[in-house]
Amino acid sequence: MVATRTKRVIRLEPTDVFIYIIGALIVFVVVVGSIATLSQGKYSINAWVDLFVFGVTLGSIYSLIALGYTMVYGILRMINFAHSEVFMSGPFTAYFLAEAFSRSGFLNQSPVIALILIFALSMGTSVLVAVLIERIAYRPLRNAPRLVPLITAIGASFFVQYMFRGLYGTNIKVYPEIEALKGQITLGAFRVSYIQILVIVAAAAMMLGLHLFVQKTRTGKAMRAVAEDRSTAALMGINVDNIIVTTFILGGALAGAAGVLYALVFTQVHFFMGFIPGIKAFTAAVLGGIGNIPGAMLGGLFLGVIESLGPMLFLDGLGITAPYQLKDAIAFSLLVLVLIFRPTGILGERIREKKA
Amino acid sequence: MLELRDVHSYYGHIHALKGISLSVEKGEIVTLIGANGAGKTTTLRTISGLLHPRHGSIWLDGERLDGLPPDIIVRKGVGQSPEGRQIFPRLTVMENLEMGAYTRNDKEGIRRDLEHVFGLFPRLAERRNQPGGTLSGGEQQMLAIGRALMCRPRVLLLDEPSMGLAPLLVETIFNIIRELNREGTTILLVEQNAAKALAVAHRGYVIETGHIVLSDNAANLRQNDLVRKAYLGET
Amino acid sequence: MKGNQSKRVLSLAALMALIAAGCAMPVTPAAPAQPAAPAATEAPAAPEFTPPTDPIGVVQIGPNDPIHIAYMLVTSGSDGTLGIDSRRGIEIAIEDVGGKLLGHDIKLSGEDSGCNAEGGQAAAAKLAADSTIVAVIGSSCSSEMRAGGPTLSKAGFLIVSPSNTAPDLTDPAKRFPGYFRTAHNDKVQGAVAAQFVAEQLKLKKAATIHDGSPYAEGLANAFAENFEKLGGTITTKEAVGPNDTDFKPVLTKIAATEPEIIFYPIFVAAGSLITKQVKEVPGLGDKVVLMAADGTFSPDFIKAAGEAVIGMYQSSPDFSAFTGGYADFLAKHEKKYGEKPLSAFHAHAYDAFNMVAAAIEKVAVKGPDGTLYIGRQALRDAFAATKDYKGLTGTLTCDPNGDCADPKIAVYQQTEENLKKLEVPTTPIWKP
Repeated sequence: MVATRTKRVIRLEPTDVFIYIIGALIVFVVVVGSIATLSQGKYSINAWVDLFVFGVTLGSIYSLIALGYTMVYGILRMINFAHSEVFMSGPFTAYFLAEAFSRSGFLNQSPVIALILIFALSMGTSVLVAVLIERIAYRPLRNAPRLVPLITAIGASFFVQYMFRGLYGTNIKVYPEIEALKGQITLGAFRVSYIQILVIVAAAAMMLGLHLFVQKTRTGKAMRAVAEDRSTAALMGINVDNIIVTTFILGGALAGAAGVLYALVFTQVHFFMGFIPGIKAFTAAVLGGIGNIPGAMLGGLFLGVIESLGPMLFLDGLGITAPYQLKDAIAFSLLVLVLIFRPTGILGERIREKKA
Repeated sequence: MLELRDVHSYYGHIHALKGISLSVEKGEIVTLIGANGAGKTTTLRTISGLLHPRHGSIWLDGERLDGLPPDIIVRKGVGQSPEGRQIFPRLTVMENLEMGAYTRNDKEGIRRDLEHVFGLFPRLAERRNQPGGTLSGGEQQMLAIGRALMCRPRVLLLDEPSMGLAPLLVETIFNIIRELNREGTTILLVEQNAAKALAVAHRGYVIETGHIVLSDNAANLRQNDLVRKAYLGET
Repeated sequence: MKGNQSKRVLSLAALMALIAAGCAMPVTPAAPAQPAAPAATEAPAAPEFTPPTDPIGVVQIGPNDPIHIAYMLVTSGSDGTLGIDSRRGIEIAIEDVGGKLLGHDIKLSGEDSGCNAEGGQAAAAKLAADSTIVAVIGSSCSSEMRAGGPTLSKAGFLIVSPSNTAPDLTDPAKRFPGYFRTAHNDKVQGAVAAQFVAEQLKLKKAATIHDGSPYAEGLANAFAENFEKLGGTITTKEAVGPNDTDFKPVLTKIAATEPEIIFYPIFVAAGSLITKQVKEVPGLGDKVVLMAADGTFSPDFIKAAGEAVIGMYQSSPDFSAFTGGYADFLAKHEKKYGEKPLSAFHAHAYDAFNMVAAAIEKVAVKGPDGTLYIGRQALRDAFAATKDYKGLTGTLTCDPNGDCADPKIAVYQQTEENLKKLEVPTTPIWKP
């Protein structure tokens, strides 16, 4: 009796207490800050809506990149740190096509065809880079200890980055703008630019497509099977290597598309451009529950919106000046908060560790 | 039909199989009995290509299997219900069965086999849209066997189908094994429950620390002193 | 199979190591000073020569060795043009003296300091390890100097920056020994910019954005201080990250404070994005006036910001006030590099090198065997004593805090013409 009773008592370790205090502190700042900001009424509803739309736009791009991290993690249980370079290589290569289209006037004569070709080249390049990285840097190490492919991932990332730097230089390349995408829609007080609509719609369509692919097709189901149990999947007659390559292809295609969307929004590419979005997308994947596909989508949107709204909503009311300096701090604090209360991320389930 | 000739397998540096030779003829149930760690599961993993033997050869109807990757071996007709069931917990029952038929393209045949499996295991039909992880242990075992049948195996490898199941369920499972065999399926059955295994099998092998120490027909093995003492718990 | 795999892995690793090494390859250090033995044996009759002594060390340069000057500039990345521009100024200056000083070749080596604190620290550590270096011309960005300066100072180098403009680098309380600059102090630029906005444009409400770098923060603060003195209001002071790309949230926040002008003295990468994104933010759009500073005064910026640059203002060194030699310099630059200067600090770098050379000539002592002795403290003192030096950027005199510039700041406006040609404006629209 006594023994069972003592077992029920939850023992609080000092570190747990510390972590919960931090969690409570973050919640406190968020709640008090939001109330203070909103009660001051300094910013109009329009400003908030605009911020929200910016956040969703950026978040959609994060989501697309995050899917690549999460799918590879789901299958290989490894973080593909070179994914940010997969993201960079596509739009960087497609820049040359876009620039040529722009110079010949084709870009503004038939923007739809031009965009389709730019997307195709970008996605194709990203897929190629992703597949090559898998083949050269990861597959030979498939059965090595887990830290080993992590190191080659970082090496591959540098390799691709500096290869692009060596080939095309360190300058910022300015993406041509498309006349047809310059306007905006005004719905009463709300304004959404065409580019934002393009980003959000394209991202939503691709995510829906991915969802259907993974849920409904034979290959999609095989991907899930391999993610759950690689050796049993092999016993079903699934060629695990092919499925892994398929995963890299899907992740690469999404990253390549995300790259063009990013380049259209920010109108520039650069050999180092993958780093920050890569880190953010990785964070989004962890936030949503790494290995979980809807989680990556949700995590990306969440992160985008928090980065956009958070500093002003949480900190402005507290009288903190220049809060946007702290947007990354806020984003990562919320990551900490989520992980305190849900260690596996928003939608994450405890992923079964593989048998040795 | 299925034949192993002097097979040696290693886990890293551990010499797990030290020259296994056995054969399964068409239409037979052959059982491989032995204690924990004797090499039963290793034998099955070696046949299905998850482990590659360092010496020896494996043959299926005169074709060499050793060295081929697991997915090709499945395509050649070796189906396996692995130890511990290993169903895909987040895939539905239906999807698990579809994965079993991954190597096949004949829609009509798959549909017929699906009905056949649901006929054998009506419980699975009821739960076809439930995630595999929510099934009970017995249902998971049914699913694992059903899934292995979906690839229309020429030889079905069953790894510890009775493990962890209540006695009543064990009975059901063994009835189904008998039923499958009557329908013409060739079965290699690995079991710790030697009594049950020898009751359904035609022939049997006893494996100890990587060696086959005995082989005979099932009736003789049941009478064998060593088997009676070590595996049937008789004194 | 296994061996094959490990071979592949090995070759990959080797390839990467090679690349890494290629990136990090330091400039080969000069040969050690010549042994002094021949002097003793060959010239026993010569009058007694005592090499100079110096409290922080003497650089000995053998008769056939070069005088080693190093640069520490940002030469890659999105801000690379800033440092490459300065390096070209140094290279032209070296050519102009025929590549020789006091009969010794001039050797120029350098490190890329990345326009950030980490890069500055790393570059400074590498330079400090090379005791043949007499003087360092650099850095480009104030953040690099803040981090790397103490290391360079301890190594005994003379340090002359052609483009650090953050006020606190020459604040007597924070300045490190041996540090000088030929670039203007941003106190001056901030004041000029504020005066322009308040008196010329007659605007009353301004918002500022800096990127956390000492340069930008110092300049934004100097602007705000002077602007308020002139009767203006600062509606909000914002800060962003230098690697950020999405500035719409912060611009939306600024829009709510309704400024008439935004002053954002930051660098090319973030600056161009802000310039573009302002146009897309409701409430700012075409209404708000944009003004930046010399950190974005480059063709790169114009290219990256596109149409949005038209009409914006930038404060920058006043090239029209540069001396007659500047036209000559531009001609040489165009001939040597096939293009116009990339940024604003080539002339300052040119002057910096010549002032260093003049100081070396003043203090260097030649031994009987041709060995050159340069006292490090003596060199710093000689540089500090520079007075009325006629350079490209004006008449330079070093004040006790290390500010040597003859600050001539003017305001420029970008036009369609500039965008078409991708060239920065050459004629200021306003001077104090």
